[in-house]
Amino acid sequence: MSEVLNVAKVKAKRTRKKSRLPLIIGGTITGVMILIGIISVFWIPMDVNVSDPSIRMLPIGTAHHLFGTDYLGRDVSSMLMTGIRTSIIIGSCAAFLALFIGTILGMLAASISKLDEPIMRMADIFMAMPGIIFALVLASTIGAGYLTTIFALTSFFTPAFVRVTRASSMRVLSEDYISVARLYGRGRMFITFRHVLPNISSILIVQFTIYFAAGVLSEAGLSFLGVGINRPSVSLGMMLHEAVEQIGITDPLNVWPGLCIVILVIGLNLLGDGLRDHFDPRFSQRVR
Amino acid sequence: MENFALKVENLVVALDDLTAVRGVSFTIRKGERWGLVGESGAGKSLTALAIMGLLQEGWKTSGAVWHDGINLLQASDKTLSSRRGRTMSMVFQDPTTALNPVAKVGKQITWILRHHMHVSKSEAYAQSLVLLNKMNLPRPESIMDSYPHQLSGGQRQRIMIAMALACYPELIIADEPTTALDVTVQKQVLRLLDAAVTERNCGLLLITHDLPVIAAMCENVAVMYGGRIVEAGAIAEVFTNPRHPYTRGLLASQPTLDNIDLDGGTRLPSIRGAVPPLYAMPEGCAFADRCDFATSKCKELPELDGHTHRVACWNPLTSSVKGA
Amino acid sequence: MGRFILRRLVFFVITLLTTSVLIFTLIRAAGGNVAAILLGKNSSYEEIHKLSTELGLERPLPVQYFEWMNNFLHGNLGQAFRSKQLASHLIWTQAPVSVPLSLGGFLLAIIIAIPLGTYAAKNFNKPSGAFVAVISQVGIAVPVFWAGLLLSLVFGVHLHILPTGGWVPWNESIVGALRSLALPVFTLGIVMASTLTRYTRTAILDVMNEDFVRTARASGMSRRVALIKVGLRNASLPLVTVLGLLAAEMVGGTVIIEKVYSLPGISRMILDNVTAREVVVVQSTVMVIVIYVMTVNLIIDLAYGILDPRIRVGK
Repeated sequence: MSEVLNVAKVKAKRTRKKSRLPLIIGGTITGVMILIGIISVFWIPMDVNVSDPSIRMLPIGTAHHLFGTDYLGRDVSSMLMTGIRTSIIIGSCAAFLALFIGTILGMLAASISKLDEPIMRMADIFMAMPGIIFALVLASTIGAGYLTTIFALTSFFTPAFVRVTRASSMRVLSEDYISVARLYGRGRMFITFRHVLPNISSILIVQFTIYFAAGVLSEAGLSFLGVGINRPSVSLGMMLHEAVEQIGITDPLNVWPGLCIVILVIGLNLLGDGLRDHFDPRFSQRVR
Repeated sequence: MENFALKVENLVVALDDLTAVRGVSFTIRKGERWGLVGESGAGKSLTALAIMGLLQEGWKTSGAVWHDGINLLQASDKTLSSRRGRTMSMVFQDPTTALNPVAKVGKQITWILRHHMHVSKSEAYAQSLVLLNKMNLPRPESIMDSYPHQLSGGQRQRIMIAMALACYPELIIADEPTTALDVTVQKQVLRLLDAAVTERNCGLLLITHDLPVIAAMCENVAVMYGGRIVEAGAIAEVFTNPRHPYTRGLLASQPTLDNIDLDGGTRLPSIRGAVPPLYAMPEGCAFADRCDFATSKCKELPELDGHTHRVACWNPLTSSVKGA
Repeated sequence: MGRFILRRLVFFVITLLTTSVLIFTLIRAAGGNVAAILLGKNSSYEEIHKLSTELGLERPLPVQYFEWMNNFLHGNLGQAFRSKQLASHLIWTQAPVSVPLSLGGFLLAIIIAIPLGTYAAKNFNKPSGAFVAVISQVGIAVPVFWAGLLLSLVFGVHLHILPTGGWVPWNESIVGALRSLALPVFTLGIVMASTLTRYTRTAILDVMNEDFVRTARASGMSRRVALIKVGLRNASLPLVTVLGLLAAEMVGGTVIIEKVYSLPGISRMILDNVTAREVVVVQSTVMVIVIYVMTVNLIIDLAYGILDPRIRVGK
């Protein structure tokens, strides 16, 4: 049916312009958020931990306090900016570390058959454990905080990367040019890095964005529960945690941190979808 | 009632601005057998799918396809569904993926009989057994109770043929029915198909790139190139006196004991050049840049010309293959 | 099929054992001296040492592990250091809250997502289908707790029809308990449904592109019937796999939802004990939760084996 594949490949080339929308929107949103995060390192309207009870609970639009203040008089907009930064850092670090470790393990599992079984069993076991539980256990022993959260999330995400990398690597390794490379006497390491890695890189990039988003959501959840980020660091989930504890669930103060999370995650997801469409040469899956 | 099983008039199949089938016309009379020949990418399968109304989302058609009194291209899915499997049916290429893996084979066959012929469960079962017997499948009861993954490729393809024949259709379209099978099985399956079609007097449209198969099974042939039919007629005529340069090239490149020099002296003749990709299809005759007889007139698209032996060419060959 | 069940059961047991070792090691190794943690930062060296010997923490780790396992299997899950409450008792009181919540949310998610995902797949090239796809995209991005906050804002505060928190025990009033569960189950269900809808849509679209669907239509099945009879049935396989992943998500969601709606379930127990660094209790509670999730996964895997004739019947 290669006639159809020919047509489909052309269709893919032609309609790429049409389906670029998720990529553009996602990229823009993510870019803006990252920008905010970077800016927050150098400048925020006000120190996030300075409490001034005299100006507590100001509504949005007040002079000097764009988003108002919280129950302790702290500036909300500053906290939002810092919170975004935290989410981005934790999400990206966890995803990146998981990517790094998972890719190595996955490629090892795919190329060395003796390691395949044990690595995959470990991955299965890790996947069977709910991530939150793992994080809670860590929090109870090491204590909550930046590092604990990143560590917990990394452990939680790595098995998924191992799975994906292993599956894609195996697919690449079954290609003919790999056999040719072996015939030429190329070593396994060489083949892995020179041939396998570039071919799976697009899948990995997409997975990275997905787990970046998952990391943001998970960190928010953990902080909300109180076992993630704590003062003096600021996180969006933590803001909601404080809001619920102190002022109850009725206050509009709850809206902003949640909204920031949603926007960031949507941006990342769209970016991931857009990248997947961009990289996918097999549009023919959809077309016959 | 018309006397044809299928009449295709200027069928065009396109995806967005890419035209894969560029105006195909032919008629299959009741009981006639036509082979549709051409290289991969010529548009054969798309033609078949368009006739059956099974093109995927996004593909558009124009022209007319007359069958059982209606224009299939204008019919609704409901109307088409009542004809598919009953008056016209199709056998697909790959038996490994063509059957529903989670349903027993028996259920898949009896469904067709019950849906179209409105027979009872037991009657459908009995008829299915008869069909499987005709397909030379041993122990049909056990096959009825099996799942597709428990059967071999050859068995599955025979089941597909049985399903296609169940309701005595006027037309069967077989798209490369044996290409995916072992060579040893291919002949058996083709023989069965041949016998079944003869017995039921169905019209047959056999799509393949394998010329000897067409010669064995069909009386007529249509040669497709670049989305169009370039030559059509009775096999006896076309294969001995090909008038289109492409057809001649195709026939000449068939390995036979004549042109194989077992000492390794000669090479198998081939047609120079390659099939133009769909997005770069030339305005005029698609074969022009590979043709030894091309002239400036070939920049215009030639139409199918003639009566029983038709050809679409400005400079059709007149001498026979053997002579040249 | 028999071999499949056996293999799956063996995996179940092995995973549980490995996880128990993992949890045990984490708690003991990562946290440093358990006694030190329990007593707090300002305890003296003698106090720590005394408690250590009392709790048997000086013995070799494998011995402690086996003792824990042995106790666990006999129903002794340990007790909280400060409150002296039995962990098993605590878990027992939380179960009537957490189990209905988690299972309810899970089932609700399935009930919503499968039809919705099918609808989105059927109309993938029409605005209605695209609309559903976008909605589920947004739904995935919404953090569970935020959804809970918003929903309780709408239904609890402004519309006053459902309680925004608190719990009425089953033995007090069944209706009361159901009302307390309504909003939480709804929230959990909706959030999980977003992810599930997306997966359903993809799974069905993938299946509809398969050859055998084309054969079914060539045999005379209308698009609709082919979708339901052939498509859904075949898509059930990858979907069941997804449900397994969802089960893990379910636990996390339950914990968060309970906190949002102030339900006295397993989450409160775990969180309180985690913040109080009651490692012994946390250890056993986590083990119980893991058993719960793995059981759900086991059931799901067995269901898969039943659904797929290639496994059920074999060669």
